[in-house]
Amino acid sequence: MEFGTSGMLNEDGIHVDMDRLKKGEVNLGTSIMAINFKDGVILGADSRTTTGAYIANRVTDKLTQVHDTIWCCRSGSAADTQAVADIVHYQLGMYDIQNGRRPTTQTAAAMFQELCYENKDRLSAGLIIAGWDERHGGQVYSIPAGGSLHKQSYAIGGSGSTYIYGYCDANWKEGMDEAEAVKFVKGALQEAIKWDGSSGGVIRMVVLTQKGANRHLYLPDTNYGVRHQ
Amino acid sequence: MTSIGTGYDLTNSVFSPDGRNFQVEYAVKAVENGGTSIGIRCKDGVVLAVEKVISSKLLKPGANKRIATIDRHMGAVSSGLVPDGRHFVSRARDEAASWRKVYKTPITTADMASRMGGYLQAYTLYSSVRPFGITAIVGGWDSELELPVDGQVGNGPSIGSGGKVEGKKYGGPGLYMIEPSGLYWGYYGAATGKGRQTAKAELEKLDLAAGKLSLEDGVKEAARIIYVAHADNKDKEFELEMTWISSLDGPTKGRHEEVPKEILEEAERLAKKALEGDDDEEETKEDDKPAEEDKMEE
Amino acid sequence: MNHLPQAWGRPRDDVYGAYDGSYLQTHGPNQHTQQPIVTGTSVVALKFSDGVVIAADNLASYGSLARFTDVKRLRKFADSSIVGFGGDVSDMQYLDRLLNSLDIEEAYSSSGHTLNAKNLHTYLSKVFYKRRSDFNPLWNQVLVAGLDDDKKPFLASADLLGTTFSAPSLATGFGAHLAQPLLRKVAPDEIAASKLSKEQALAAVKESMKVLFYRDARSLDKYSIAIVTAEGIDLKEDEKLENQSWAFADQIRGYGTQVN
Repeated sequence: MEFGTSGMLNEDGIHVDMDRLKKGEVNLGTSIMAINFKDGVILGADSRTTTGAYIANRVTDKLTQVHDTIWCCRSGSAADTQAVADIVHYQLGMYDIQNGRRPTTQTAAAMFQELCYENKDRLSAGLIIAGWDERHGGQVYSIPAGGSLHKQSYAIGGSGSTYIYGYCDANWKEGMDEAEAVKFVKGALQEAIKWDGSSGGVIRMVVLTQKGANRHLYLPDTNYGVRHQ
Repeated sequence: MTSIGTGYDLTNSVFSPDGRNFQVEYAVKAVENGGTSIGIRCKDGVVLAVEKVISSKLLKPGANKRIATIDRHMGAVSSGLVPDGRHFVSRARDEAASWRKVYKTPITTADMASRMGGYLQAYTLYSSVRPFGITAIVGGWDSELELPVDGQVGNGPSIGSGGKVEGKKYGGPGLYMIEPSGLYWGYYGAATGKGRQTAKAELEKLDLAAGKLSLEDGVKEAARIIYVAHADNKDKEFELEMTWISSLDGPTKGRHEEVPKEILEEAERLAKKALEGDDDEEETKEDDKPAEEDKMEE
Repeated sequence: MNHLPQAWGRPRDDVYGAYDGSYLQTHGPNQHTQQPIVTGTSVVALKFSDGVVIAADNLASYGSLARFTDVKRLRKFADSSIVGFGGDVSDMQYLDRLLNSLDIEEAYSSSGHTLNAKNLHTYLSKVFYKRRSDFNPLWNQVLVAGLDDDKKPFLASADLLGTTFSAPSLATGFGAHLAQPLLRKVAPDEIAASKLSKEQALAAVKESMKVLFYRDARSLDKYSIAIVTAEGIDLKEDEKLENQSWAFADQIRGYGTQVN
């Protein structure tokens, strides 16, 4: 049997071209978002991880903690974004110990940006950083591929996000209460899951406020209607 | 000194049997011979001032500055060996720049003091180096506003972020003094060098802890204190050098800058007048007091 | 699985043939992935009697997606110059920090000297040239607006290759095709530019921004505009395009012969 380097699945359906894997690898073809609301921020994500059309993991957790109340949403290469998140997790821990105070969301965003920018030619990562701290309240930063840094009222990312620009723009309100905000995130992710083949599974959320981090879980078999966590 | 002849004073990093590092104590002596430096932490800014002793009439007046800018919002002055002071400043600038590179935000005065304290302390640990022959005063203004990440674009919610803890204040003036041992504390008013005792006595009278002294008045007090402290050292000529850092809505907009010529000259005029008044009549000073207190009220 | 680590996690040679490891080669030229990703479009600028007017819209595109609509691409430096950035936004942010650190170093000496627009432009062009020579370019074209050593209006361009030039009016990207002809009508040469009033220059630049919004598919109707003079910088970052002309669309029927 002959194998090319076209990046296509071969007839056997198993052999995946390595050059493509190196770049695409396990792709978080994803729907992720984070929003500001009255008391802090909410991060949300679907749970699908794909290798090509195959769902490598249907219950992925794309919401990653890098400090007590600073989290991130990961999209792009799973390996790359995990590595970056692990490094920032370590650095923020060190910051806390060495300076005797919690890092702010800006600190985390600056660290993520430096890694993404300086290694832009090696990484495929699209990150959303969201956090809460005493001084600044909730904040959302977006770091798209290339490593630029954008402060936003809400951020959406991943392949699924392209389907919900309209939904989010039309339904966005500043200063929502928690119930409204959860409804907004859930509504947006439901649409993304519906139209994007690379997004799917459960909806996970993390609510970050003065009270700390609070997880939510919604399942497709109840049409994301019931909170399970 | 009792240490002489014991040998414990000849090497850095070696304790004497009673637990002293003589090299550090000798460094302090070098500081005590230097021109007086002071810093005042006012409610809306920080003033740094130094008595620059003129070592030669051939030196250009106003040249060879002794107070240095470390970052936009921070300055430092030192008493003791001038070249050691220069190296201190050079290191502090590197620390400020590296902090910005890593965290993409200006370093706070407290963090700078911590970094420099650690740096000076390291020079007490090795026999191959000597401690710094300076005591440095670092003053800065930490932004009271929320700072962006350097270079960021976008603003976030138009109504501001939600979930802030209300009623807390952030940023403001910072003043630290770092000694040859690496010891550092935060001060309301700091003084070092030859006239430190006199200067400290004057600083204590200002009741700086009440946080009522304005930056404008602080500049006048700083000039006066340098002149008073110089009185013990009258045989040598000196220049007064002063810099300040105000709040963001003050005259320097949070930056460390030289005190403008007119304000400096006015402060010097008042300082000289106060000194003359001190000599012959105490009453003038008593008369001035109520008026000054009026001014200081918020 | 066999004992060779190279084979772990790879398809079996006996089933799938020998693994082609050519992509792992480390020799050959040093390669940096280089393509702009999040990008800003045109910057336009025009000199007038005592300064420069410069404008850029507030959009950062991701391909054809209008991804960020609040990106301020006119960056202020040393309170005396404006650099307008076209091209990659992450590189713009890098240069923003780089120029800031330069400004901080400049303040170390109390000479009172600050970098003017001419100094900034020279510095930027050398950074761009160094980076392109390292095969790792900063993917931008920039316009630098401010004053030169004689306090005269200064306007110049620098780009990812290190190319530089200067003219009474300049525009990057699409603006070079659409805005430049309009600006050149108003200021064909330095003498004409030196006779322009601030109002005339402002009107010409705003008109250019409008044409660019009509014809550049990566543009936005929200923009930033700055007037740089010896008095300082007047920067507005939340302007909206005005006096657009669309109503003539009601005269258009079909694509040739149709009348209804």
